[in-house]
Amino acid sequence: MDFFYLLLQLVSAIVVAPLFDGISRKLRAKFQSRVGPSIFQTYRDLFKLLKRGRTKSHSTSYIYQISPYVLFASAAAMFCVLPIAYGPSSVALSRFSDIFILLYLGALFRFMFIVAGIDTANPFAGISASREGTLGFYTEEIAVICLVVVMMGTGSTNLAYITNLIQEGSYGYAFPSFSVAATAFLWVMYVETGRKPYDLAEAEQELQEGVLGEYCGKDLAIIDIAILLKQMTMLGFFLIIFVPWAGLVANPILSLILFLAEIGFLYIMGVFIDNFGPRFTVNNGIKRTMLFALAISCTSLVLYIMGI
Amino acid sequence: MQTIYTLFLLTSLLSLALYKKPLLAQRIGFGLASLISLYAAVFFFSSLDEILIWKLPGNFISLPLFRLDAIGMFFSFLVSLIAFAVSLFSFDYAKFYEKKANLAVFASLFNAFILSMLLVIASDNVFSFMLLWEVMTLISALLILINDGEGASKNVMIYLGVAQIGAFCLMVALIIMASIAGTFEFSKFADLNIGFGMSITLFTLLLVGLGSKAGMFPFHVWLPIAYCQCPSNASALMSGVMIKVALFAFIKFSLLLPQFAWFGYILLLVGALSCIFGIIYALASNDYKASIAYSSCENVGIIFLGLGGAFYGLGINSPTIALLGFIAAFFHILNHAVFKSLLFMLSGNVFTATNTRDMDALGGLHKKMPITSIIFFVAAISICALPPLNGFASEWVIYKTMVIGGIDEGVASRFFFTLGIIALSITGAMAIMAFSKMYGSIFLGIARDTKCVEEAKEVSFSRLLPLGLLASLCVGIGVFMNDVIGVLSKVVLTLIPQTTASAYGLISMPLIIIIMLLCAIIPFVLLYLFKANHKEVRVTEPWACGFLYNKSMQIGSNSFTGDIRKALSFLLKHEQEIKIDGYFSKAVYTKKTHDLFWEKLYAPVIDFVMLVADKIGIFQNGRTNLYAGYILIYLCLVLIFGYYYL
Repeated sequence: MDFFYLLLQLVSAIVVAPLFDGISRKLRAKFQSRVGPSIFQTYRDLFKLLKRGRTKSHSTSYIYQISPYVLFASAAAMFCVLPIAYGPSSVALSRFSDIFILLYLGALFRFMFIVAGIDTANPFAGISASREGTLGFYTEEIAVICLVVVMMGTGSTNLAYITNLIQEGSYGYAFPSFSVAATAFLWVMYVETGRKPYDLAEAEQELQEGVLGEYCGKDLAIIDIAILLKQMTMLGFFLIIFVPWAGLVANPILSLILFLAEIGFLYIMGVFIDNFGPRFTVNNGIKRTMLFALAISCTSLVLYIMGI
Repeated sequence: MQTIYTLFLLTSLLSLALYKKPLLAQRIGFGLASLISLYAAVFFFSSLDEILIWKLPGNFISLPLFRLDAIGMFFSFLVSLIAFAVSLFSFDYAKFYEKKANLAVFASLFNAFILSMLLVIASDNVFSFMLLWEVMTLISALLILINDGEGASKNVMIYLGVAQIGAFCLMVALIIMASIAGTFEFSKFADLNIGFGMSITLFTLLLVGLGSKAGMFPFHVWLPIAYCQCPSNASALMSGVMIKVALFAFIKFSLLLPQFAWFGYILLLVGALSCIFGIIYALASNDYKASIAYSSCENVGIIFLGLGGAFYGLGINSPTIALLGFIAAFFHILNHAVFKSLLFMLSGNVFTATNTRDMDALGGLHKKMPITSIIFFVAAISICALPPLNGFASEWVIYKTMVIGGIDEGVASRFFFTLGIIALSITGAMAIMAFSKMYGSIFLGIARDTKCVEEAKEVSFSRLLPLGLLASLCVGIGVFMNDVIGVLSKVVLTLIPQTTASAYGLISMPLIIIIMLLCAIIPFVLLYLFKANHKEVRVTEPWACGFLYNKSMQIGSNSFTGDIRKALSFLLKHEQEIKIDGYFSKAVYTKKTHDLFWEKLYAPVIDFVMLVADKIGIFQNGRTNLYAGYILIYLCLVLIFGYYYL
């Protein structure tokens, strides 16, 4: 039964992810005084990609062929780690729902992304692969610092268990370190969703999409879904630790719907930040702004160490 | 166990005896070595819960006693397991050094090296330990010299220099411990009655003495120098197991001391620094072998993080943390031995095929050497600690240890454990960059220097077989991590008596694999449902923004790490120089990364020693009458001293 809910959680995420993307595109267009595409445009894009033929660069190897599926599998598995439709009562799945599994599946995603970019021998893909790795270097430790506070505070790395503790109220915003960590974590998770000012998911070649410069047709469609899924996972990761109250609804399906709505809300709200800032170059802007996030997370860590 | 030692000794002598027929000696030496080590691996594994004692007959220099307990048995197993794969690999690989050295000597040294490591593990006496330890160092130095060439002797001197610093500290520590205990035998050392200050001093001496051999920061400078000079099979053994022998000795000796929580803190700090600096230099390096060598420093740091948890647990008398910490450290020791020796052997394959160590010259090697490439991919995923392979399994246990260790009240423990976790996560992020860069620039893309890559061929089956075995071990240990942890906890429980293994809520690796496989099916279902276009893929040039594509347009290993090197410029001193003469002439870009600790710590000392040696050199000028004069002066001084003071 738990596996059924897990499948339901994953499938519903795949189904609604393009909708959130469509809504945020529409909203962004409105901000820029454009009419903008319909909110179902992302579905149409994906469908169109599935029907297109493909080309590939002559340098590509097996990595090019397997990477869409590995990327999809790791992103989907990341989403499955989030205990949305199942809880700690599920013995089997709670051995899977671990914070480090989520983080390192994300690392696997990043590894495949970089390797796939280099494989195409495309100059832009190489540069954006390098950028992707550097961005990971900036974000990873901030995310981990915030998570350290949570993990040590609850004494566990098990996500289902931690969520349950916070839902019960035996751990949570009463601890100052936890509430400070929430801010920095949301910041990092926003960076991970690949939006301005840190990234621009759909535009310039040397940014996130640059890695995919040589991908087309069904491969690109699969990778696009994988990226959307990863972005949802990142927001969900924030929600499941810091705003886990959708899980209090007893009916798993209802709580799943509620949770997805929360993710969608955050995803669409991201447009408000996305739209009102320039994009940073990796070294100047990101280093400078990430230092703020680092400072916030370190504050929460210091609070934890001092035992406040 | 005597049989195994004797067999290695005989093989070593036999291959030396075949000095005149190097090719035959190579076949016999490495072939027998692989058979004996296979037997040894099976033997040591099957007697994991026994204690074996062996005495040399007669009163041979201070009664050398050899003793293997569960821990020693585990490390002996590790040595013989890796030695099996490496000697099988060398069976064909060693031929590459035919012109540089006599293969009979190579085979003989190889066997002697394995033997010396096994004996170091087994020796139970200060004297024989130090003797064998130095023998091991010397044999490994000779193995480095097999690849003789420009600068080889200088590199060996650096290796020996660091080893001497280490051996000095180790000797001092062991002699102090022996004099307190009143015996030279380790098994009678128990319950040393010493205070906190003395324990910390001894611990630090041991850490410097054995950590320098293990490649701990800041003694890591010899790693890239020695390993790059070595033939790859020797560096696989050195990095795969010699480092582990040093760690074994460290665990063994420091457990003899009274335990304090500060031991754990020191280890956590050293471990955190080792991982970060190791991986930074691994990332910046353009030489794939140097990069793999630097990553040894990183992995030793990770092992120290696990050990730090263990010693902290012993210090505060919490068997749960101690047990988990030791399991984590031993698990990572096992995994590092497997994937690091695998990576060094793979680098040997790449080097024999292309004759270059420069990542900027390679590329597109997958098409020439597909099996090597796929095994390299497995090893890279494994060393980056990505699920579902073994690297992730052991790093997860280390993370778990540190999370549990940081729960306790107390600012110091919380601080050091969080430091450890943060260091490990930074290391994880950078390891991904380092190894994706390495894999990408060697095997993927288009060859940058066509001369090197064009003639590359896939290596022979007998070289791929051991690599395949180790790669499947990487997968196997990952999948059956809980069973491996079960075996390890049995070994570790002999270190901390009065505890029982308990379940810690381990993760389940098969479940991860199942879920990932199920997730991988979904795209196929989607493709089927929406009737995707399955037409054959057209092959084109890579897209280059409308310009004519050129292979030098793809990203190089230099520019790949450019941003991160700039961000870390305060740690990584790198000079870059760009020369542009005119619009139509080629721009020349050179970059040099310096090891900060080499320049700030080692180079001044070496310069000073050279200076002193130069000044002293005046005395040794080859004139016999002057030497007679020295003796005269010395005699007079002794007489005067004797007359007044004795």
